[in-house]
Amino acid sequence: MRNYIAVIFSDIGQAYKGLHALWQLDAEDEITVHGTTVVHRDEWGEIHVDTKETQPALATAVGVGVGALLGALAGPAGAAVGAAGGAAVGAVGGGTLGIITDAVRADTREEAREETAFVLNDGESAVIADVTEEWTTAVDTRMRELGGIVRRRAWSTLRHDAWFSGYTPDNYLYPYEYIPPGDRI
Amino acid sequence: MSTSIHKDLGKIRAAAQQLHAAISDAAAKRGGAVKADLEAVGQKARSVTESVKASMEAQDETAKKHLKEAVADLEAVQKHTSEALKNSGQAFQASIRQSLADARASVQKVSEAVAVKRSAESHKGRK
Repeated sequence: MRNYIAVIFSDIGQAYKGLHALWQLDAEDEITVHGTTVVHRDEWGEIHVDTKETQPALATAVGVGVGALLGALAGPAGAAVGAAGGAAVGAVGGGTLGIITDAVRADTREEAREETAFVLNDGESAVIADVTEEWTTAVDTRMRELGGIVRRRAWSTLRHDAWFSGYTPDNYLYPYEYIPPGDRI
Repeated sequence: MSTSIHKDLGKIRAAAQQLHAAISDAAAKRGGAVKADLEAVGQKARSVTESVKASMEAQDETAKKHLKEAVADLEAVQKHTSEALKNSGQAFQASIRQSLADARASVQKVSEAVAVKRSAESHKGRK
């Protein structure tokens, strides 16, 4: 099954370890990773997204797209905030990004049970990824070992989210393991 | 045989990932990408396109469909990169941006073919 996942870590160093572990699982054929990025929410609530230093036009597109993706991972109500706020999405929401997922909008009850909202508190970091996984155990186990909490939304549900019209979330994820030079560990 | 096809797809995906990285590195350059960067990108795009085409015959229909789409995206990379070489200013930036999106889409398609392959192998292994 194809899922968007958010793995929340209490610090940035662990988030990069989580990012590396995801690509490692891909190398071991356990999952297929289609794209990843790392986001950080600073102590003032601002969201920062890892990106290569790009020309302004590209940087804006990355910000809006990732904002929409974060909002959608937070659930339908969060998507409104994400699409409107772009990379500054974290500034909205009174301390947390993430609103309880509207289970009614999930395609099936079974799927709704699997889907959980993404919440990123001040000071936390998260790995956002688009993955195909035959079962969820491989990712859950590896991330738990690193102290990460995994949240999932089905790729198909999220792609049909009305708030995504006009955005293609995949375009804003790196299709390989990208760590900014200053953050390499 | 199957493992070898699987490995080939993995290599092709790695090459497509490198292509995306090369374009995004060029786009991120202060003062903009230079001609040599774009020429190298165009050459790499051609080479990855040929590799994808060569690998298609050995794939099943679902993987082949993804790879056909990847070829279309890679041809678009070549087109937009060569446009970037002729353009300047905003038109240049638009071509680079489009080229980057095409490269991203091509990796996505190859990656989907890899997922199909892995899923098939995983089900075979469980039988």
